[in-house]
Amino acid sequence: MTPGLHHYLIVSGLLFSLGLFGVLARRNLLVIFMSLELMLNAANLTLVAFSRFNNNLNGQVMVFFIITVAAAEVAVGLALIVALYRKRQSAHVEDLTRLKY
Amino acid sequence: MDAHAAQHAIAATPAFSSQPEDLAWFILLLPLIAAASIAFGVRRSSFLSSTLSISATVVAFFLSIALFLAFGVGGYPAVTSPFNWIHVGGLQVDLGVTVDRLSVLMLLIVTGVSSLVQIYSTAYLKGDPGLSRYFGSISLFTFSMLGIVLADNLVMMFVFWELVGVSSYLLIGFWFDKPSAADAAKKAFLTNRLGDFGFMLGILVVWSATGSVQFTQIGNVLGGNPGALGGLASIAGLLIFCGAMGKSAQFPLHVWLPDAMEGPTPVSALIHAATMVAAGVYMLCRAFVLFQAPGAWPAHLWFLGNISALDIIALIGGFTALLAALIAFQQDDIKRILAYSTLSQLGYMVMAVGCGGPDAAMYHLTTHAGFKALLFLGAGAVIHACHHEQNIWKMGGLWKRLPITFRTFVIGTAALAGFPILTSGFYSKDAILVAALDGGHPVLFGLGVLVASFTTFYMLRLVIVAFFGPYRSEAASHAHEAPIAMTWPLITLAIPSIAVAWFGLGDYLSSHFNPHFHAHEGGGLFGPFNHAPLAAVFGSGALLFGATAAFGLYWGADSDPLPARLGLLGRAMRNRFYFDEIYEGIFVPMHDMLGRLFGAVDRWVVSGLGIRGTHGSVELFGRALRLLQTGNLQTYTFLFAAGVAVVVFVATK
Amino acid sequence: MSLSQLLLTPFAGALLVLLVPGNYRVVHRFIALVTSAITAIGAISIFAGFKTGVAGMQFEEYAAWVPAAGFGYHLGVDGMNIGLVLMASLVGFAATCVSWDIERQPKLFYILLLTMIGGSLGAFLSLDLFFLYFFNELALVPTFIMMGVWGRGENRNYATFQITLYLTLGALIGLSGLALLYSQSGANTLDWVTLKVWLADKPLSSHAQNLILPLLLLGFGTLVGLFPFHSWAAPGYAAAPSATAMMHAGVLKKVGLYVLLRVAIPFFPESMNHWATPLAVLAMGNVLYCGWVALRQRDLYLLLGNSSLAHMGFCFLGLAAAGVIGVTGVVLIMVAHGLLAALSFGLVGHLTKATGSSDLDRLGGLLKTFPFVGGALIMAFLAGCGVPGFANFTGELTVLFGAWKSFPVFVIAAAWGGLIIGGVYMLRAIRDLLHGPLREGSVKSGDAGPWRRVPFLVLLAALIYFGVNPASLVDRITPTAERIAGTRTATATTTHATAAVTSHAAH
Repeated sequence: MTPGLHHYLIVSGLLFSLGLFGVLARRNLLVIFMSLELMLNAANLTLVAFSRFNNNLNGQVMVFFIITVAAAEVAVGLALIVALYRKRQSAHVEDLTRLKY
Repeated sequence: MDAHAAQHAIAATPAFSSQPEDLAWFILLLPLIAAASIAFGVRRSSFLSSTLSISATVVAFFLSIALFLAFGVGGYPAVTSPFNWIHVGGLQVDLGVTVDRLSVLMLLIVTGVSSLVQIYSTAYLKGDPGLSRYFGSISLFTFSMLGIVLADNLVMMFVFWELVGVSSYLLIGFWFDKPSAADAAKKAFLTNRLGDFGFMLGILVVWSATGSVQFTQIGNVLGGNPGALGGLASIAGLLIFCGAMGKSAQFPLHVWLPDAMEGPTPVSALIHAATMVAAGVYMLCRAFVLFQAPGAWPAHLWFLGNISALDIIALIGGFTALLAALIAFQQDDIKRILAYSTLSQLGYMVMAVGCGGPDAAMYHLTTHAGFKALLFLGAGAVIHACHHEQNIWKMGGLWKRLPITFRTFVIGTAALAGFPILTSGFYSKDAILVAALDGGHPVLFGLGVLVASFTTFYMLRLVIVAFFGPYRSEAASHAHEAPIAMTWPLITLAIPSIAVAWFGLGDYLSSHFNPHFHAHEGGGLFGPFNHAPLAAVFGSGALLFGATAAFGLYWGADSDPLPARLGLLGRAMRNRFYFDEIYEGIFVPMHDMLGRLFGAVDRWVVSGLGIRGTHGSVELFGRALRLLQTGNLQTYTFLFAAGVAVVVFVATK
Repeated sequence: MSLSQLLLTPFAGALLVLLVPGNYRVVHRFIALVTSAITAIGAISIFAGFKTGVAGMQFEEYAAWVPAAGFGYHLGVDGMNIGLVLMASLVGFAATCVSWDIERQPKLFYILLLTMIGGSLGAFLSLDLFFLYFFNELALVPTFIMMGVWGRGENRNYATFQITLYLTLGALIGLSGLALLYSQSGANTLDWVTLKVWLADKPLSSHAQNLILPLLLLGFGTLVGLFPFHSWAAPGYAAAPSATAMMHAGVLKKVGLYVLLRVAIPFFPESMNHWATPLAVLAMGNVLYCGWVALRQRDLYLLLGNSSLAHMGFCFLGLAAAGVIGVTGVVLIMVAHGLLAALSFGLVGHLTKATGSSDLDRLGGLLKTFPFVGGALIMAFLAGCGVPGFANFTGELTVLFGAWKSFPVFVIAAAWGGLIIGGVYMLRAIRDLLHGPLREGSVKSGDAGPWRRVPFLVLLAALIYFGVNPASLVDRITPTAERIAGTRTATATTTHATAAVTSHAAH
C-alpha cells in the first residue's frame, strides 16, 4: 500500500498536536522551544505533501524558506533562553511572570 | 538669481534714470535707509545715529523742494507703478508713487517738520540712553508717513498706514519702562487698529465694486459711472473714513491722542500734531473721489434716505471739534491742552472735507502742521525749562525767562486762534468756514465759529496762565531759555505761521481738486473780506469774543475761576466727558468676559469631557483588561491557540 | 541639489549622529547643525532655481516602489509646496540652532530632531500621498517622544498624552479618507499627479465625494487644530521643548493643511461647495474662539499656541473660499506662519530659559535686559497681529480678498476682527512681558549672544523678505493655484462671485 495524501496529513496533524501539547503543558523553556519546532515541522510536512501530490514545486520552495527562517529563529531563541538563564538561573516559565500586571 | 526679480530690476532701471517723479522714490527711501543703517549698523553711537537720521531727512526735504518746484508749480500729476507687489487673479497691487500737487505739498510738510523736530530732539533728549532707538524709530516713522503720502493705491496706503501706527507705537512707548507710556502706546495702537478694521473693509468694498485698488483707476471707473458703488456707496465711504477716524482721532476713536502725550514732546509735535494725525485728513482728500459718489444705502437701511457719507463725516468732524474744544477748557497739563486743541482742529479739517471742501481741509492741514508743531516744540521748551513740570498752574511769569520761546509761542497761538490778516491760520480757517457755507451747512458754519472762539479762549488761557502773572513754582522761577538747537527750530517754524498764506496756497490746492478753478479777483491779504465777507467777519468776531472772555477771566487770576461757574459741566470737561471710563467699563470687560467664558469652555468642556473623558474610559478598560495579563507564558499561548481554533471554526463553518 | 539629495541630507545626518558614540557631544551638535544648514542652503537654491510662471511640477523625480499597487517614490515641487519646503528647512535649521544646549541625551535628541526635519521635508516633497502620509507619521512620532522626554512643566505627561491621542486619531481618520480615495477613484494609485489627470477626466461620484471629504477634513483638520479639535495644541506646545514646538507648530502642523489644499479643492469640487460654509464657520471658530481664549492666557506658551490656532483659521477660511486668491493666500500664510511660529517659540524658549518662567504675571520689563530677544519678540508679536512688512500680513490680506466674494460680509468682518483681538493680546503680552519696570529677581541669564542670534535673524529675515517682496512667493504660487482652484468649475466660482456682488448691489 502506498501512503496517500491523507496519511501524510494525519502524521503532520499528530505532530502538530504533540507540539501544541508540549508548548501548553511543559514548563521548561527548552522543551517548549523544541515543541515549537515540532509544530513548525508539522507544517513543513504538510507543505511538502501537498507539493508532492499536486505536482507543484511552490510548496517545497516555501519549505526551504521556512527551514532557513526557523534556523535563524532557533539561533535567536536559544540565545535569548541562555541569556535569560544566566540572569535568572532558571528556564521555567512559572518563574518568568515579570510582565504580569 | 530670481529671474522675475531680475526682470523687474531691468524694467526699473530706466525708470530711475531721468524722470523727475523718480525723485519721489529717493525721498521715500532715504529715511528707510537711515532707519536700516541705524538698526543694523551705527546704533551703538547715538551721535552717528542722529546725524544719519537728520541728514537723511534734510536731504529728503531739499529733494522735496526740488520736486515742488518741478511739479507743484504748474506741473502735471504723475503716477508710476513699476513694482509688482501682489498679482493674483483679480487682485493686482503694485508699489507705485503718485506725484501731484497734493502729495508734493505733503512731502514738504512731512520732511520739513520731521527735520526740525529731529534737530530739536538732539537737544531735548540729550543724554538719553535710547537715543539711537529714538532716531531709528523717527526715521521709520518718516518713511512710513512719506509712504502714505506717495501711495498710489489703497492697499499700499494701508500698508504704510499700519506702519505709521507701528512707529508711533514705538515712539509713544519710547520710555517703555514707564507704565503710563507703555499703556498709552498700547492704547494708541489698538485704537488705530480699530479704525483700520473699517478701512480694510472699505478697501474690500471698493475693490469688489470697481475691480481695482489704484486711485487713478478707481477714479476712472467712478468717473465713467458715478453709481458704480451701487447701494454700498455711503457705507464704503464711511468704512474708509473709519481709517481716518482712527488716525486723525475723530470721535469716538479720539481717546488715544491725549494719552499719546506720554511720548517725548518732540514726538508729540511731529506725530501727534503735524503729520500722523493729518494722515487721516490727507487720505480723505486723496480718496475724495470715492466720497463724491451719490449717497446710497443698502435696502434695509432705506430710512437713511440719501444722506451721503460726506454728511456724516462733516457731522462727526464738527462734533469732534466742539467736544475737544470743550475738554480743552479744563485741562491743566500744557501738552494735553495742545492735544485737545489738535483734536479740535482735526475735527475742523474733517468737517471741511465733509462739507465738500478738501482744498480747505488741506489748506488748514498745512498751516496747522506748522503752527501746531511750533506750539508743541514751544511747550517742550517750557517743560524742559521747568524741569519736566507740565501743569500750567505751576508755571507763570515765563515771558521774562524764556523770551524766544514766549514770542514764538504767542505767534503760534495767534495762528491757531486765526488772528486776522497776519497769521496763516486765519486764511485756512476762513477757507473752512467758507466751505461750510458753500456746502450748504449753515449749522456747521455756526459750530465752526463757536469752536473758533473756544479755541481762542483756551489758548489764551494757556498763554496767560503759563507765561504771565507771578512765578507759581520754584521750577518756574529758575527757568532758563532752551539751547540753540531747540530755539531755532521754533524760530523757523514761526515764519510759516505768519507767512504761508501769502503764497496763494489756497488757490494752489483748489486748482488741484478742481481743474476749472480760477483764482478769485481781489485776492491778496484782504481777499477773505472781499469775496466771502460773512465768514471772515464772523471768524474775526469769534476771535475777539474768545479773547475778551479769556482776558476777563484769567488775567491776574491765581486759580481757575471756571469750575465754580460751570459746576457739573466743568467736572465733565475736566474728566474728558468720561470717555475713557465708559470704554473701559464696557469694552474691556466684555472682551475679558468672552475670553474667560471661552477659556472655561476650553478647559472644562473640551479638555475636561473630551480628553479626560477619553482618558478615563481608556484607563477603565485597561484596568479591566489587565486582569487577563497573568504573566504566564502558557496561558497566553493557550488563549492564542484557542483563538485560532475559534477563527478556524468560524471560517470553515 | 536634487530633491532626493535635499530629502536625504537630514536622514543621513541622523544616521551619522547615530554612528558617533554617545560621549562625543560636540560632534553630534556639529553634525546636526551642518546637515540642517546644508538642507537650508539646498532648499534656498531650489527655491531660487524654481521657475516662476510655470504651473507644472519642477525638479520632478520618480522611482517605482510597488508598481502593482501603484505606489511610487515621487518627488516634485510646484507652487503649493516650494515655499513650504523652503520654510521647513529654514525652521529646521533654526530649531537645530536653538537646541544647542540640550543637556540630557543630546544624541537621541538630535537624531529625533533630524528625523523630524527629514520627515516634514519628505511630507512636503512627496507627490505620492502614501509617501506623504508615511513621512508625516515619521515626523510625528519623534514629536511625541521629544515632548515626553525633554518636555517641561508639570503638565507634560498629560499634554503629551493628549497630543498623541489627538494626532494619532486624526491621522488615522485622514488615512481612512485617503484609503477610500484610493479605492473609489479607480486609478489604482495615490500619486497626486496621476490622480489629478484621472479625476479631471472621471470625477468621483458625488456620493463618494460626500463620503471622503468629511473624513479628510476631520482627519487632517485635527492635525492642524481645526476648531473644535484644537485643544491639544496650546498645552502641547507649552510642554514641548523649544525645537519641537518650533518644528511642530511651524512645519508639521502645515502638512494637514497642505494635504487638504492639494486634495480637497481639485478632487472634491462638488463636495467642497457644500462644505465651504461649514468650514468657514469652523474657521471663524478658530479665529474668534481661539482668539478670545488667547486673551485670557497668562502663560506665554498657551498664548502663542492659541494665537497660532487663530492664524490657522485664516488658512481654513482661504481653503473654504477655494478661489485662486484664497488658495494663494493660504499658501502665503502657511509659509509666513511657519516662520513666525518658529520665531516666537524660539524666542520665548530663550526667555523662559533665562528667567525660569513663562508666566506673564511674574515677568515684566524684560526689554531692558534683553534688547535683542525682546526686540525680536516685539517684531514677532507685531507680525502675529498682522502688521505690514511681515509676510503674515500679505497672507492674511490675500485671504481676506479671496474670501470677500465667497462669503457674507460678517464672515470677513469677523476674520479681520480676529486680527484686532490678536492685536489686543499680543500688545498686552508686550506690555506685561517687555515693557514697564523690571521685576526684581526674575532674570537668571542675559540676552542672546551673537551666535545665538543667528536662528532668529534667519527667520526674521525671511519673514521680512516675504513681507516686503511678496511677489517672489506669489509669482511662484499663482500658476499652480490657478490650476488647482480652476478645477472647481470656473462658472461656479464666477456665478458665486457675481451673485455676491449683485446681492450687495441689490440692497
